[in-house]
Amino acid sequence: MDNKKNSLTVKDCINIGVFAAFYIVIFFVTSFIGYIPIMLVVLSVLCGIVCGIPLMVFFSKAHVFGMVTIFGIIMGLFMLVMGRPWYSILTAVVAGVAADLWMKTGEYKSISKAVIGSGIFSLWMLGMIMPLYFGRDAYLLSVAEGYGEEFANTLEKITPGWSFVLLVVLTFVGGILGGLLGKAVLKKHFKKAGMA
Amino acid sequence: MDFSIQTFKTGGERALLDPRTSILAIVVIGAIMMGGKLSGVEYVLRVISCMIPAVLLFVIKKYKTATVYFLFMAVTMILEGTAVQITSGSLNLVFVIISGVVSRFIPQFMMAYCFLSYTTVSEFIVSMEKMHAPSFITIPMSVMFRFFPTISEEGRCVMEAMKMRKTSKKKPSLTQKLEYELVPVMMQSVRISDELSQAAMTKGLGLDRKRTHICKVGFRLIDYVMIIVLLTCLALFIIY
Repeated sequence: MDNKKNSLTVKDCINIGVFAAFYIVIFFVTSFIGYIPIMLVVLSVLCGIVCGIPLMVFFSKAHVFGMVTIFGIIMGLFMLVMGRPWYSILTAVVAGVAADLWMKTGEYKSISKAVIGSGIFSLWMLGMIMPLYFGRDAYLLSVAEGYGEEFANTLEKITPGWSFVLLVVLTFVGGILGGLLGKAVLKKHFKKAGMA
Repeated sequence: MDFSIQTFKTGGERALLDPRTSILAIVVIGAIMMGGKLSGVEYVLRVISCMIPAVLLFVIKKYKTATVYFLFMAVTMILEGTAVQITSGSLNLVFVIISGVVSRFIPQFMMAYCFLSYTTVSEFIVSMEKMHAPSFITIPMSVMFRFFPTISEEGRCVMEAMKMRKTSKKKPSLTQKLEYELVPVMMQSVRISDELSQAAMTKGLGLDRKRTHICKVGFRLIDYVMIIVLLTCLALFIIY
């Protein structure tokens, strides 16, 4: 790590840490809603919208390739530590790299690309719901044992197989909505204070 | 719950557990509490693993937090052992949700809280270096751990400032809550992150040299005991 303009500096690393902490706090507060079975499914959409705000502020700080990827890796590691399904580390890394590549096409300056980038990045949250669709029976069985039959039945009823595609689209849209929200906040508060 | 984290200790005393043991504990407790079943061997494992943080809290002399946590978990575990088993239908769902919110999220949080309160940032970085983790992962991670208490502190300050100027509302709408509370905290965080990176620069974190340290990090007897307990739990959890 050196101080050249086009490489990752310590300052960038610290920025990643600060916003990762922020993102996780907001993410966890929102994800408590997931305990209502219906909400568990749309959790990724909801989190995408609310978490868009810190994400956009973070994107305004990102300026080299790698920052968004590392952000994704840290999300994945954190979820792994907190005992979420291990799928989420895969999706987190993939979504991080994808969002990073997408942002790179705009040289990390275009705010409209950052909004789409927020949509792409939000897709990592699908990792938490993935076991419901891939390896469905085993997952439902474990849910039935862990959370009780009722919970599993309700869950099975409201999630037919095709709903995964819908969920991907919805999460993406949720991420973009979050991005727009973040953009508004950035414009209203941060630009005025000269901080973004 | 008083939340503070130290950068280093002047007295030279060591952390209760090695950071690596603590992380293993968080992972194992997280896995068991998040995905465990409510009956049979796994129920016993759940009871054991949710009591680990309580014991640790007692050892680090946070008696009040430890007692509250212990009572909470005891009630939840009894609820899971009895009420959830015998009820059915929507009543069952209610019990599952109530006990689930506590038992599936809180133990990992408390373990992480223990970990943060007895580990210094310096010790964390050293043990990460021993695991050969690259610095672009360890630096954000250590900043992140250090930053959770800061966020809650800043949030409190914002609330107090709002009260002082009588701008707080009794019932703010969700968007108002987001805007009036989140934005100032976020701005403050941006400023703190700038200051932090300057502080890190002056401490030579940006250099390519190997970092030296004065804190002692390594496995002791208590670590080995803990690791054996945790791995046994994990093994039993995977087998059953």
